[in-house]
Amino acid sequence: MTTSTAANHVLDIAARVQRGETTALSVAEAALARIDATDKELNAFLTVARAEVLEQAYAIDARRARGERLGPLAGVPIALKDALCTRGVRTTCGSKMLEHWVPPYDATVVAKLRAADALLPGKTNMDEFAMGSSNESSAYGPVKNPRDRTRAPGGSSGGSAVAVAAGMTPAALGSDTGGSIRQPASFTGTVGVKPTYGRVSRFGLVAFASSLDQVGPFASDVRGAARVLSVIAGPDGRDMTCLGAAARGPEGDAYEAACGRSIKGLRLGVPEEYFAKGLDPEVEASVRAAIARLEQDGCTVKKVQLAHTRHAVATYYVLATAEASSNLARFDGVRYGLRVEPGRDKRDKNASKSALRTMYGATRDAGFGAEVKRRILLGTFVLSAGYYDAYYLKAQKVRTLIRRDFDAAFGEVDAVVCPTAPTPAFLLGEKTSDPLSMYLSDVYTLPASLAGLPAISVPCAPTRAGLPVGLQIIAPALHETTMFALAAAWESASAS
Amino acid sequence: MDFDLERIRHVATLAELSLTEEEERRLAAEIGRIVAYVAELEAIDTTDVPPTAHVAGIEPTRSEDGWREDVIVPGLSHEDALAGAPHAEHGGFAVPGFID
Repeated sequence: MTTSTAANHVLDIAARVQRGETTALSVAEAALARIDATDKELNAFLTVARAEVLEQAYAIDARRARGERLGPLAGVPIALKDALCTRGVRTTCGSKMLEHWVPPYDATVVAKLRAADALLPGKTNMDEFAMGSSNESSAYGPVKNPRDRTRAPGGSSGGSAVAVAAGMTPAALGSDTGGSIRQPASFTGTVGVKPTYGRVSRFGLVAFASSLDQVGPFASDVRGAARVLSVIAGPDGRDMTCLGAAARGPEGDAYEAACGRSIKGLRLGVPEEYFAKGLDPEVEASVRAAIARLEQDGCTVKKVQLAHTRHAVATYYVLATAEASSNLARFDGVRYGLRVEPGRDKRDKNASKSALRTMYGATRDAGFGAEVKRRILLGTFVLSAGYYDAYYLKAQKVRTLIRRDFDAAFGEVDAVVCPTAPTPAFLLGEKTSDPLSMYLSDVYTLPASLAGLPAISVPCAPTRAGLPVGLQIIAPALHETTMFALAAAWESASAS
Repeated sequence: MDFDLERIRHVATLAELSLTEEEERRLAAEIGRIVAYVAELEAIDTTDVPPTAHVAGIEPTRSEDGWREDVIVPGLSHEDALAGAPHAEHGGFAVPGFID
């Protein structure tokens, strides 16, 4: 892969900046130059924080000049999905609703990246409020896939994936609700990690579906993703869903140390349900070849059953839209964001409504795009009187069955290996007219989301047309180290 | 289940969305198809299956870490909190009339 040179990897940049072989300033300038040269066409960045990133670089270089020890991400440019709040830098969430909003605080993960001496060159494009699988629901135009510009980069964290895939930054943060990190990683040939639910603070992440949302890294290699995760993970008193220090898992946050560890004797489960109708034959061949290589390198492989996989799409679209309809009620034109107060004509049509409620309706009609309205309405419906038990409660019960499938599988195997997405990147415009077919493209990422499990997408052999394919490795809750050991082993096997 | 115009208007009212008539027609058809798809859940036997409340089964009261110390830390300043408001007056968020 053209961007996979050592110069583009997280660990290498941090080591060179720490040793003084290069400066944070020259790394920042190179990242800005690369963004300027490539992003006009790709549209990965919504905001380039030029002045801010140069200021960060000066400060890092000044601290090194004074002899201070630099952090683990010293001088590493990391792009941020525009759903993460950045103090003083606008945060749109891909929506007209927040077009001019400048947050008064940093998300916890952003503060942690700053404290680790990372460079933050800007905010990346995304599906509006993270609702989409192709980046086409962004109010600011779709991102293009650098591997083939007629194709979608995946979504919703498409801009972050492309920032890494096109070599603009060696790493990026995204958020994954139903596959929004792993699926774009698969489509763009990058590494993407969804950590265990609760592993990473969500404070300052614009909420979509709170029982599913999780922040995680993209990187140009597995070790880079491990380094970034070790920086952003950990307890946060500002997010009550963030796991406490006691829930660190068997090996804590030794993610990087797990990369390069022997995988001999690890038991891999291959779920038949993930190799079913609808799976592209080239994707299947690529993923099966990767599994065969892991077996050759000392893993044992057996079939496992995840019988409720086929109900994941229906379950997810009930639960995620219900939670979204509640979370997005905050966009009411009062405290921040867009406000539309219609003139007399529109008021007359709504004569029975107060001026306040007319403002709510007009603001939300103007501020939200089609996909967001669709999901708010569906979510409002499944929570409404008379339908809650039939849809929402039922879906939460099926979610329990999906979790039990994984519990049973992990009684027999250490990790589940499968495709990340059923197809390579599809064409821009291919699925926009049929929301349901777009939803079905998440079929292999949704189950791990519903079960709160850590999962990674790591590139395997591309298709004959050169489109990337992702191998997904799903581990038990808090066993990110197993996932990283396998992903790093596959990465080095596939490079040789 | 039939997802007709009357139903979409009711749900839009609950969601505080003012839709145009064209949007109402389009969304009723689209959401009707999605609701028909998710109806597959009905056929799954969930007798004695508890609903998922939290994926890790963690509740604050059962947290191994216990509660954090109740320490006062600085929050947003009054000025910062109002900085993003589309309309602020007299140190507060201003809203249009809500009693007719």
